[in-house]
Amino acid sequence: MSAASEGAMSIGEKINEGIAIKTVFTINAFGLSIPISDTVIMSWVVMAGLFIFAWFATRRLKEVPRGFQSLLEGFYDFANKFLEENIGHHGKDFVPFLGSVFLFLCTANLLPIFTPVAGFGFEPLFELKPLTRDINVTAAFAIVTMIVVVFSSIRYKGVGGFVKSFAKPLPFMVPFNALEYVVKPLSLTLRLFGNILGAFIIMKLIEAIVPVGVPPILSLYFDLFDGLIQAVVFTFLSTVYIAEAIE
Amino acid sequence: MDASAAAFIGAGIAVFTGIGAGLGIGLATGKASEAIARQPEASGKIQGAFLLGIALAEATAIYGLVVALMLVSK
Repeated sequence: MSAASEGAMSIGEKINEGIAIKTVFTINAFGLSIPISDTVIMSWVVMAGLFIFAWFATRRLKEVPRGFQSLLEGFYDFANKFLEENIGHHGKDFVPFLGSVFLFLCTANLLPIFTPVAGFGFEPLFELKPLTRDINVTAAFAIVTMIVVVFSSIRYKGVGGFVKSFAKPLPFMVPFNALEYVVKPLSLTLRLFGNILGAFIIMKLIEAIVPVGVPPILSLYFDLFDGLIQAVVFTFLSTVYIAEAIE
Repeated sequence: MDASAAAFIGAGIAVFTGIGAGLGIGLATGKASEAIARQPEASGKIQGAFLLGIALAEATAIYGLVVALMLVSK
């Protein structure tokens, strides 16, 4: 790859710099210094975007829906039916949590498509990278999901029922059931993290080698399709884990 | 052979987990196509189960990728 040796940095170094997560600023409060990385700032942007969208979309709701409101009601109806079908008659209680997780992951995975690119004499001011390429973000989602699973199991079956569920279907399954509570969040974390980071690295490689024409076509698969599918799979698996825990 | 050379070789070997994912997803696609050919009206449910299956099978290949990345970046 002679082009790599002529540039200022090799392709490997460009990629390493591209995927690094930089600390933007540090909050010094209460005697601790908390480093704030750029993924945290991106997640604030996504949260703000979702809040603003929710506020504008639900401002003047009418009794008989027209236009955009009927679209929103269609989505909400679909979420209700899907969760009730998979979880059972307590499905409606989980629509806020699982719906928010799905919306956040969809937005967070699709937002990097709008990153500005260099061209026509402009250099891009900033670059939007997928915030789920940071393992801390995906681990946070997985841990929160497991907390919801454990607490909903205790709420709907009681503490005794939760402890007894470790011994189902046979008593010798206790270590395996206990191991499940470690493996499930780990697999949720690594699946989302690995898929998004892998897609990001591949897109960087493609852009480094063939900058014109090919990246948008492949980005349809790697960024769009992969991001959406991973959001769907994360939410669906969370649904299945909650359904198992409630029975 | 120093440690970083061994790390790079290990990273290459770690990506072999992709073989399992490729085989599993290929089998799943074959079965899904057969099922849709038998009963086209159930294709919505079959597609749902298929997409979920390939995302789960992909996960084990991704574990190999994560191990390779950890080895390369040390």
